[in-house]
Amino acid sequence: MDLGNLGIFKLMSRKMDWLTQRQEVISQNIANANTPEYKGRDLKSFSFRDALSDNRRLTPAATDPTHLAGTRGPGGLAKEQKVRDPYETAPDGNNVVLEEQMMRMGQNAMDYQTITNLYKKQVAMMKMAIRSGG
Amino acid sequence: MDLYKSMAVSASGLKAQGTRLKVIAENLANANTTAETPGDLPYRRKTVIFKNELDRAMDVDKVRVAKVGVDKGDFQRRYDPSHPSADAEGYVLLPNVNSLVEAMDMREAQRSYEANLSAIDTARQMLTRTIDILRT
Repeated sequence: MDLGNLGIFKLMSRKMDWLTQRQEVISQNIANANTPEYKGRDLKSFSFRDALSDNRRLTPAATDPTHLAGTRGPGGLAKEQKVRDPYETAPDGNNVVLEEQMMRMGQNAMDYQTITNLYKKQVAMMKMAIRSGG
Repeated sequence: MDLYKSMAVSASGLKAQGTRLKVIAENLANANTTAETPGDLPYRRKTVIFKNELDRAMDVDKVRVAKVGVDKGDFQRRYDPSHPSADAEGYVLLPNVNSLVEAMDMREAQRSYEANLSAIDTARQMLTRTIDILRT
């Protein structure tokens, strides 16, 4: 049995992937908070519907090394996009607001903690089910 | 691994802000540096220009210092005939450094530096939490 194929584990690892990627994007924004003409970015928000439809999608199996990968496998890279309605744009053309980024980062870290705790709980429940035989 | 990438980006931010602070320190230290002889020009204020740069190996937008330029603004003049570098009319040219502007710049650099540091800290926490899953 592969844990990765169980619905909830799959969903959780996808969410963790998304949060990790978002952390990367936020770090980029913060590092470039004083770069002229830099536009802040964010990821397309993680939706339950997308995750579910990905779960149901059939993926072609690559049985030969020369096979091309499909356009987008399950749990592929989330889309990065420019922020459409920035809070403010500085005279040098930069629209990153540090406070906003810090808030997003905090949110991100908390979500990540939630997921890892959920993961632990799920594993603990499985262990409990295994043990309760005797 | 994405979290390592995000730490690398933040580290580039730290480095850029460090360079900025170095230039600000130069400006502040030379805020009163006049010319040695009457014909010469005093210290000229330096400025830092940041640029974002795609790191192709990691596919992330890092930041770097594009160049350290000079402020072409006018020098201040002060009437002080007894000064060794005063001109024929008794005026001394002073650097175009405004210490208030430098102080503001320094504070902004400090804030950005702190923001980058906490981004590294958050990435580190996320990694620790992932490793914690293995412990249960």
